[in-house]
Amino acid sequence: MSKYSVIGARVRMIGGTEKVTGDAKYTSDLTLPGMLYGKILRSPHPHAKILNIDTSKAEKMIGVKAVVTGADTIGKKQGIWRRFPELCDEEILCRAKVRYIGDAVAAVAAVDEDTAEEALGLIEVEYETLPAVFDPMEAITEEAPQIHEGVELNINVNRHIEWGNVDEAFTKCDHIREDQFVCSSQAHMCMETHCALASFDYNGKLTVWTSTQSSYYIQVLLMGMLGMREGDIRVINPYTGGGFGSKFELDSAQFCASLLSKKICRPVKIVLTREEEFTATKRRTPMYYFLKLGAKKDGTLLAKEVRVITEGGAYTAMGATALYLTGFFSSFPYKYPNYRYDGYRSYTNTEPTSAMRGFGAPQSTFVGESQLDMMAEDLGIDPIEIRRKNGMTPDYVVPGQAFIQSCGLHQCLDKIEALIKERGKLPPNHGIGIAAYGFMSGGIFNWFDTPYSFSAAIVKINIDGKVDLFTGANEIGQGSNTTLSMICAEELGVKFEDIRIHSADTGICPPDLGGWGSRQTLMSGNAVKMAAADAKRQIMEFAAAKMGVNIVYDLDIKDQWIHLVDRPERGVSYFDVVKEAIRGRDGEVIIGRGHYTPHRKGMISPAYSFGIQAAEVEVDPETGKYKLLNVSTAHDSGQVINQVGIEGQLEGAIMMAGGYGYCEDQPMDKGKILNPSIADYKMIRSLDMPETKILEIDTYEPEGPFGAKEAGEGLTNPTAGAIGNAIYKAVGVRVNTLPITPEKVFRALREKESKQKR
Amino acid sequence: MKKVVKLTVNGQAYDLYIKPKTLLIEVLRDHLGLTGTKRGCNTGSCGACAVILDGMAVKSCSVLALQADGGEVMTVEGLAIGAELHPLQKAFLDHGAVQCGFCTSGMLMSSKALLDENPNPDKQQIKEGIDGHICRCTGYNSIVRAITDVVKGEYKEAK
Amino acid sequence: MIRDFEYFAPKTLDEALTLLDKYRDECKVIAGGQSLIILMRQGLVAPKYVIDIKRISELNYISTGKDGVKIGAVTTHRAIEKSPVMKNGLSVLADMEKRLSYIETRNWGTIGGNLCNADPAGDPAPVLMALKASVKTASVSGGKEMPIEDFFVDFFKTALEPTELLTEIQIPPVPPHTGTVYKKFNIIEGHAAIVGVAFSITLQSGDGVCDNVRIALGASATTAIRAEKAEEVLRGKKVTDALIKKAGQTASGEADPISDISASDEYRRELVRIMVARAGNEAFARAKQA
Repeated sequence: MSKYSVIGARVRMIGGTEKVTGDAKYTSDLTLPGMLYGKILRSPHPHAKILNIDTSKAEKMIGVKAVVTGADTIGKKQGIWRRFPELCDEEILCRAKVRYIGDAVAAVAAVDEDTAEEALGLIEVEYETLPAVFDPMEAITEEAPQIHEGVELNINVNRHIEWGNVDEAFTKCDHIREDQFVCSSQAHMCMETHCALASFDYNGKLTVWTSTQSSYYIQVLLMGMLGMREGDIRVINPYTGGGFGSKFELDSAQFCASLLSKKICRPVKIVLTREEEFTATKRRTPMYYFLKLGAKKDGTLLAKEVRVITEGGAYTAMGATALYLTGFFSSFPYKYPNYRYDGYRSYTNTEPTSAMRGFGAPQSTFVGESQLDMMAEDLGIDPIEIRRKNGMTPDYVVPGQAFIQSCGLHQCLDKIEALIKERGKLPPNHGIGIAAYGFMSGGIFNWFDTPYSFSAAIVKINIDGKVDLFTGANEIGQGSNTTLSMICAEELGVKFEDIRIHSADTGICPPDLGGWGSRQTLMSGNAVKMAAADAKRQIMEFAAAKMGVNIVYDLDIKDQWIHLVDRPERGVSYFDVVKEAIRGRDGEVIIGRGHYTPHRKGMISPAYSFGIQAAEVEVDPETGKYKLLNVSTAHDSGQVINQVGIEGQLEGAIMMAGGYGYCEDQPMDKGKILNPSIADYKMIRSLDMPETKILEIDTYEPEGPFGAKEAGEGLTNPTAGAIGNAIYKAVGVRVNTLPITPEKVFRALREKESKQKR
Repeated sequence: MKKVVKLTVNGQAYDLYIKPKTLLIEVLRDHLGLTGTKRGCNTGSCGACAVILDGMAVKSCSVLALQADGGEVMTVEGLAIGAELHPLQKAFLDHGAVQCGFCTSGMLMSSKALLDENPNPDKQQIKEGIDGHICRCTGYNSIVRAITDVVKGEYKEAK
Repeated sequence: MIRDFEYFAPKTLDEALTLLDKYRDECKVIAGGQSLIILMRQGLVAPKYVIDIKRISELNYISTGKDGVKIGAVTTHRAIEKSPVMKNGLSVLADMEKRLSYIETRNWGTIGGNLCNADPAGDPAPVLMALKASVKTASVSGGKEMPIEDFFVDFFKTALEPTELLTEIQIPPVPPHTGTVYKKFNIIEGHAAIVGVAFSITLQSGDGVCDNVRIALGASATTAIRAEKAEEVLRGKKVTDALIKKAGQTASGEADPISDISASDEYRRELVRIMVARAGNEAFARAKQA
């Protein structure tokens, strides 16, 4: 018997019926009267000065209604981390210089897409090509061309995290390992590409419908780039086909559509092609890792030193955060008494690298978990034991960095250990590898410099008891509308069906930082819970008066029944009290307000999820090809709110995280991505998808609503590491560069054989 | 030179006057306003545009509308009968086989075509049936479970 | 974007040939369009005229007779995959089709379209080579027949003249004691072959001696090719494990693959070696039971 009425239940997602019937309208499905179609002209050069742009022929073409270039902008640069102006380095529509193949230089609005595309061909751009650099190791040398003015050696950002005394600690270690790894890029590959429908009206007001993870960020960034007032811009988030970290920065579709619309006061829709999606948006940050790990012979980890160089691409974007988080999560999920991280991000003339699900942690987990298994083998200790010995525990403090409250890592370890034992003896060439992780539930840093609380919500109770919930949080398919409605219903004591949610419309919803960094369940959830509690309090005042009970009794609502906690059979209907509460307040609508910003929780996150994953592979030792047979995850996400949603996140993450390990890559030739199509970008499909198993454990996170914390991102961290460790168990070879392709396994096996022959 | 194409879509007959280069997906989305079918890529690889043409699942982005002349098309909008959802739609909802929903229309149509051809596929055949579709959100297994439940008869067929 | 074109949907082969003769290099023939439409959307091909042959019923058939099996050019992959004709000695064709792209592509795409596209990584070509297939063409001035090896000239280039249409694929009767196997190596199921091997072996009755063998490689050269030196290793000899391995080794030397984002040329050569040996063993096992 669940102690909760709503949360934890299996419900159909809000918006699901619209999606399965085709009723759901995504941005690219929308049309407005008089709407034009936009297309963007992009640089074919990785690095060049723009000498001149002649748009006259395009402007004269029949059907073309507007053309814009950088000259039509107010000449600002933008970026997400507004507290650091030097990191706001992207014009989007370039004025003087292009810095990667795909950088936008002009945009056209025409009566149809074909006309717009033809018009692009009539725009003449005179470039003076400049020497370009693609490899971060080369980019930070004296000889490399400077990509951004004033940035010496192309070193965009550096980060340092340290506690204890790493150098001294290494002298006390019984065993030290030094290993190098290379983590590749990855495309978000949302099924819906970036798109925006912008409508600038004759009153100087702009409305933008766009596929986004943060309506609020887009509103504010557009304000800065258009020189408008924030309140004159309304960003609406229709059904959205995925984000995964690619859609909370201002993108070329949003900016160009707005600029074009502003020029002629007509709606303009821009939908990026799949090729633009691969080449002219953002991608996961490739990282070069140098790890030094020291331990005592009993397996106690004493010191870890991490040095990373990341390939930044042409602009900062969210890359500074990925740089920081990879350094922070390199210390997860273990207790290191001494730790040092130095990370450098280098500009390169390639597609900018930014946020992608996991945010630097898939990389740090792959390298860290691979090295830890190697250390365990060196010491003759079981991989689970070494993790048990050093794993974080509840109420652990990461020195100077973070306060961890709930932590179910050890229960997860127990579950996975039991599962592996149950599997028993494996057939030849099979191997099971494990990887442990921890991840944040939303970030504490306010580098965006918002004056608002990170999340806010409004709850309005109508005369019929039906509840309108207003939240700035973005539903991108992860189920946040459902989760937040469940939290609201549970807190208020009504049914899930009583909630009608309005989300991510900056015109009517309070600001919320959006759906990224795994923040919405905890942060938006807390705001929703507070708003519901506020509305509930207003109703309860009337209930108490109406029921006239002895002051020693407490009242509560559950399932639309307001009752004495100690005598639940004594109560009144929620519906009756709502009517009276409204009447009793001179007809004033009952509105509850809530907000949340983490305080006094350290520098990273208010709460952390944990887990461990076990992957079983079968390797063909002749060809090096391997099959992902099974990926099982024991996870700690605190109290489960949306059961169906969380299972979807856990299983779904494996497709993406498994792909990171198995096959996904964006190889380049002189800055040109070689596989910008779904035909050529390898991803796991249903026949290659492993069986998945989810093992739940019970924890409670005090900081989260009803004890909940994140579940969407942590799961993308361990899979590549688990795969790498599994391959080692199966056939005794390691591949230290991602993705772990059959060819790499093949070469490693042949090298091992020739070593053994000698 | 434009040509007339006659199509029956979701039981409704249409005569359309189109340029020969018009793709079936363009007729459905742009001419008929049936936006349930989605565009996901440019190389016929993602499956989001799948519809049923004369009983077969095809990628509407890779079929000229004129090649479907005289044919019968079913899109996702044609699955539900009146207010009653199709068993596959119900199953997808119950199993969380829908997240962002962008791949969903194509998945449903290929699933339906699969079951129309073979009402009793095994797990491997179900996976083959949806292998032409990329889903970035669910990891496919919930979709396979949803279809399996329909195969088992867990959902009553709409009359 | 696709450029405008004039569209014709001839109902008979003769009509199609007349149009082809009229427009020649200015036109493209479309059947299933599963390759052509992609090329047109990417702007790589922009014909002024498109001749749609998909509905020419006289080109859409699978027939059997004493001469073997004949497949009309406009037969879909799916029809071949599901055809009751593709059993026993020809089950390899159904196996190959099952792994060709995805069901939606196979439902609409045709065998003729696939062969005329002449993708060096294509699946049907090596299998048809192993089955000793020949192709038939037609034009207003007459038709030709040729072994399928002669049909492929270079990557994405066939021997078709501008006025010629591929009309039929002919597969001779499969001799007794023959086993044919297709092995496709890829990383993601449904993707193009990184290396493809079709191996057909015919034994003299029962004694395990190879009467004839045909080994064809896909994605290993500019076209699908026969590994003739590898065939010589086995022809007329008693089949052993070691000999099959040697055939694989030899075939590896005959391959001339490219390096691309999926694999290096070296790795492809190794895969040829491994896959030829595996295909050979399986084909031998099948032949013994046939």
